[in-house]
Amino acid sequence: MTDPFRLQARGIRKAFGGVEVLHGVDLDAAGGEVVALLGENGAGKSTLVKIMAGDHQPDAGEVVIGGDRFDALTPVSARQAGVRMIFQELADAPTLTVAENISLGRWPTRGPIVRWRVVRERAAKVLEQLDVDLDLDAPVAGLSVSERQIVEIARALSDRARCLILDEPTAALSSQETERLFRFVRRLRDQGVALVYITHRLDEVREIADRVAVLRDGAVVLEGPAAGMSRRDLVSAMVGRSIGDVARPADVKAPESASPRVRLAGASVDGCFSDVALEVRPGEVVALYGKVGSGIAEVAQSVFGMRPLTAGSLELDGERKQLRGPADAIAAGVGLLPADRQREAAFMVLSVAENLSAPSWSRLSDRGFITARREAATYRRWHDELHIRSRNDPAQPLATLSGGNQQKVLLGRWLERESRVLVLIEPTRGVDVGARAEIYRSIRALAARGVAVLVATSDYEEVVQLADRAVVMARGRIVADLADEQITTERLTEEVGGR
Amino acid sequence: MTMPAAEEMAGPIAGEQTVGAPARRKPLLARIPDIAPLAVLLIGLCIFFAIKSEFFLEYDNFLNILTAAAITGIIAAPATLLLVAGQFDLSVGSGLTFAGIVMAYVAERQGLLAGVLCAVAAGLLLGAINGTLVTVVGVNPLITTLGTLAAFVGLARVIADGQTLPLNDFSGLGTSRPLFDIPLPVIIFAVVVIVFAGVMRYTVFGRSMYAIGANPVAARLAGIRTKRLIFAAFVLSGLCVALAALINVSQLSAASTQAGNGLELSVITAVVLGGASLSGGRGTMLGTLFGLLVIAVLNNGLTLLSVNSFWQDVARGTLLILAVSFDQLRLRFADR
Repeated sequence: MTDPFRLQARGIRKAFGGVEVLHGVDLDAAGGEVVALLGENGAGKSTLVKIMAGDHQPDAGEVVIGGDRFDALTPVSARQAGVRMIFQELADAPTLTVAENISLGRWPTRGPIVRWRVVRERAAKVLEQLDVDLDLDAPVAGLSVSERQIVEIARALSDRARCLILDEPTAALSSQETERLFRFVRRLRDQGVALVYITHRLDEVREIADRVAVLRDGAVVLEGPAAGMSRRDLVSAMVGRSIGDVARPADVKAPESASPRVRLAGASVDGCFSDVALEVRPGEVVALYGKVGSGIAEVAQSVFGMRPLTAGSLELDGERKQLRGPADAIAAGVGLLPADRQREAAFMVLSVAENLSAPSWSRLSDRGFITARREAATYRRWHDELHIRSRNDPAQPLATLSGGNQQKVLLGRWLERESRVLVLIEPTRGVDVGARAEIYRSIRALAARGVAVLVATSDYEEVVQLADRAVVMARGRIVADLADEQITTERLTEEVGGR
Repeated sequence: MTMPAAEEMAGPIAGEQTVGAPARRKPLLARIPDIAPLAVLLIGLCIFFAIKSEFFLEYDNFLNILTAAAITGIIAAPATLLLVAGQFDLSVGSGLTFAGIVMAYVAERQGLLAGVLCAVAAGLLLGAINGTLVTVVGVNPLITTLGTLAAFVGLARVIADGQTLPLNDFSGLGTSRPLFDIPLPVIIFAVVVIVFAGVMRYTVFGRSMYAIGANPVAARLAGIRTKRLIFAAFVLSGLCVALAALINVSQLSAASTQAGNGLELSVITAVVLGGASLSGGRGTMLGTLFGLLVIAVLNNGLTLLSVNSFWQDVARGTLLILAVSFDQLRLRFADR
């Protein structure tokens, strides 16, 4: 047992619906090291690690865990062999305690009776071994996200996990929480655990990884020790072009003289952000850039009336507004495309026409009456204009469209409403590279119509490719206001408090 | 009527649409119109009972069936609207009892007009209480209306001291037959159904209820004033309960503290049988009408065949479960 534990993927191929997404990929993770798996959305990261955890079966190739070969790994056998995946979405039981969560699904029992003493002992032992100080009897719902992730990891380790796959664990973490998780990950590494760390944040790589593998279009394009790689190397490997190529919008910019459509001055919401000042002019795309938890989403929500300001003022078209809710904001000409479109914007069971016209129903109606014919005509118009790929059947349920086309319908609803201000929160989260470009084009096209666009995003490449101006936020405050050629990935990372 | 087809063909992207994913053929179960199975069931029941009983097909029996469905139907109309928005009102039965007792109690002391006004006020009060609890306080509608169900039937018994209150000179609403020998309650039932069908199909209010049921968060973010509309729907439910209570009191010339017992079950059965989804966003007034007719025909037929009325409860319960199971199956196939 001198050899460290190893998890290896060899020559993995996988196709979905006739399209091969992994073209013979090798990946190797040994006990005592952190391997960062990098790649853009759609590069094949998730598919690869799901195969390594037994969730998908490869079409060709094999997974080797601690010397045992598996050509048809199942989640159960992967688990028994010591491989465990920690997903972005927490899979814990929020109302149960820390100790209970650690024993979740494998209760120590005597006959039908759960031995609660063992549950506590087991939890205390693993948390002590990990040097984590958590109240065993606290419900996990009351913990921070990073603490809950730590509890999940502890659960895996107490079940003899020797290799952990972490899927973008910092996506929902603040910077302090990220620090805490990193310290924890290093400790795991030092205890001989093998870690595969999926991310698309380059700044994290140098901080946490021993080795790096970059995946692009289903193949490993760069692999080696993290120490020898510059940020530039990583980016060009990920996107397949050098960093200088990231396209800046070439559109006509808003005339400086135009009066701002949106104007926040000294705006604060207790506990979210304070003293925020920003302006968005007609035809301008302003990015509100910061990490998750920096307050960017909250500022955007305030402009849409979802969070009333506790101090400062909001002006729309030069008029001071007290928005009491989204309905007020919409009436004042503001539209919103939220981050979680399925949950917050889409009516999946309703028709595309209804989805497109919902905010405009009052305007389309005649004294409260509205006809399906009128809705259908509205839909047909935007169907052409926005290149929505569908059957062109206004009665078709939204759920039958692809994600990108659903998003076009949801964007179209604000065009139909003739919104003069559009607020977008993380518009390309979970969207693959190709569709992303198309969304950027739609957003630029909106701006070209004279709409004032405010994009809250935690993706710096999005800022570079999309924004005329970038307002950078950290910990609820504005830390920089950049324009044009000042907007570079380096500058953004630096301003946001790059680690 | 070739116009719509021509218009579609002339659509500028008619050629482009085939470029995307080829239109998938929907599985058979998902292609059946929502209403079809229910219509088949209704016709089947009618044929069965027509063969079994010589009285079933008579005009008078036909009117009996509709009269029996009227009270449930007047309440099922707003219940459909509520369920489409993902809301329930279980307090309808107790509301009917309460409003009826209020009517008889006040009418005896202050005259008929005062009685009618107070009964309507009682219905509106119930609706407003339900609406406030659900939208302002944020209590789950099931629990809210379960609570008001218990409270209001209790209140009715307190007012009536547990007795049945007689009420004379008010039989016109429930028993007159102004048109083609059709009882007035049936005409009111028809009017209510038509009005609600129109509201749900052709008004912004109706559309908004579907949107709220389909996704309440998205509805709010699309500028729909969700709380206000849900409140309004509960008040409408209360109003219809009061109307049904007046008819009920008029038919019986008395207000009983048992009048509305179990009515919520009949109402929900009819609405769900009619295809409204328990998760909101789906359902039509036409479907509910068919659901009401199936239940009414079943009860009527079983009575004609002298089947014990306890068995009718068994039949109704079974029907409810079958309807929901069928809905689940269909959804599962539609997902594929």
